[in-house]
Amino acid sequence: MSKEQARIPYEAKDLSVLRLAPVAVEDRPKAALELLGEMLKYKRSLRLYLDVCTHCGACAEQCHSYLGTKDPYNMPVARVELVRRVYKKFFAPGRSVFRAWEGAKDLDQETIDQWYKYFHQCNQCRRCAVFCPKGIDTAEVTIAMRELLAHLGLVTKFHAGIVKNMEKTGNNMGTPLPAIKDGLEFLEEELKEETGLDIPIPMDVERAEVLFNPSSSDLFTNTDGLMAVAKIFYKAGVSWTLSSRIAETANFGLFFHEPTMREHSRRLVQAGKELGVKRIVAGECGHGWRTWRMFTDTINGPLPFPVVHLFEEVLEYLRTGRIQFDKSKNPEVVTYHDPCNYARGGDLIEQPRELLRACVENFVEMTPTKQYSFCCGGGSGILMDEAMDLRVALGQPKAECVRATGAEILCAPCAICKAQLPVVMDHHKVDVRVKGLSDLMGLALIL
Amino acid sequence: MADLNVNGQVIALDEDGFLEDAGVWNEEVALALAATEDVSELTEDHWKVINYLRNYYEQFGVAPMIRKLCKETGYDLKKIYELFPSGPAKGACKIAGLLKPTGCV
Repeated sequence: MSKEQARIPYEAKDLSVLRLAPVAVEDRPKAALELLGEMLKYKRSLRLYLDVCTHCGACAEQCHSYLGTKDPYNMPVARVELVRRVYKKFFAPGRSVFRAWEGAKDLDQETIDQWYKYFHQCNQCRRCAVFCPKGIDTAEVTIAMRELLAHLGLVTKFHAGIVKNMEKTGNNMGTPLPAIKDGLEFLEEELKEETGLDIPIPMDVERAEVLFNPSSSDLFTNTDGLMAVAKIFYKAGVSWTLSSRIAETANFGLFFHEPTMREHSRRLVQAGKELGVKRIVAGECGHGWRTWRMFTDTINGPLPFPVVHLFEEVLEYLRTGRIQFDKSKNPEVVTYHDPCNYARGGDLIEQPRELLRACVENFVEMTPTKQYSFCCGGGSGILMDEAMDLRVALGQPKAECVRATGAEILCAPCAICKAQLPVVMDHHKVDVRVKGLSDLMGLALIL
Repeated sequence: MADLNVNGQVIALDEDGFLEDAGVWNEEVALALAATEDVSELTEDHWKVINYLRNYYEQFGVAPMIRKLCKETGYDLKKIYELFPSGPAKGACKIAGLLKPTGCV
């Protein structure tokens, strides 16, 4: 396999779960033009972003994808230009004779191939939007273009598989309910062994105060985080429950297919209503959080309860003295990675820092940080094994930021970041352990 | 990925090198899959992990929690990575004939 091929995710063969009729390859250019025309009618932000770019280039050196790959098409301005040049020819205001002078282009098969390739090399991290003088958010263009590609029948195998699992089981990993229950029983035994206490991980408890929605990887690889959450609710004296309908905060529909995103959100809201909880608490997941906080009320509201983040919930316990931490339990140097969708799309910047300062002894900021932080390189679900060469290139700027801190622990409170960063740090030889914030809080919690 | 040839029988693999049909797994297939994972020999330690994964998979249709795998086999994660260099979710599951774990892993 060539290096270039190793950067292109596999295409899904079966898109039945998305209820989309695939378009024959030879019909794709014509269909793509129609779809773009339709999309421009209802996505005003897309039209605006295509119209207002001045090609100033302020975004180029701010994009980790360009910095990590050095592929000029990965400059945000050039990525969007792949669409803009078609827009200029067919849809932009003004006389067509002038448009031809501005690099306008027909929409052909090569264009579609480039769209598939380069809109899967954008992590939808929104860092370019922080630096663009016109506020162009390439993530929104990437989301729109992946949606268009989906309608042409071009979705990655990885993403389609996850949607299928979600529909079938209520979680992205496709873990059936008996296996989830078996795993939770095992974790309760582990908690008993660790603490000597009977700390429950309840499921389907009606009228519990909190419905906690974890990432399904918390039930597979990141179990320390889920055990920590159980300890915190136990100590705070809050009745809580998981739902057998859904155990997944990571809403992959956001990345490429709006109906899927809406359905995932609806499923959670329905689970909360059926159980009659007072609020839903979302676990560690960046983009999932953006969806819950920013979109849920609009697309599935009005809601009878708030959707809050675990960090907001735990901060309340900490500030009111319901829980306390012994930070000497975390003596290592810890730095914090801002998940893109917390810092640039979910209003979670200071809350995790307040918690970190309370539960670890040596917290150091990395540079750049907060809304200027670089993406892990796995954002927007670029977690495919076949794209490993791409993933480590996308993660390279972050690796250097982490290296410069000298930290022993990298706190990365997002399921995608937790899957991506160990691979990136290992590849770039940065000696650091990746943990969630829950994991660190669990270690420091005074029971 | 190219299909496997096990004693003249062609075994279909998916693009990631996992079995297309988990039902065709047997010990000889495991040996052939091990070769694709740079595991040259399947020792008693390997079989302990593989057998645990297979038993769990047959009961629940999915791979177990990594923590549970470690606890029940008595091997820590470091040891599992020594046995299966690409890790429990990829190397070990592949050789044991399970479907590939997906999601944020």
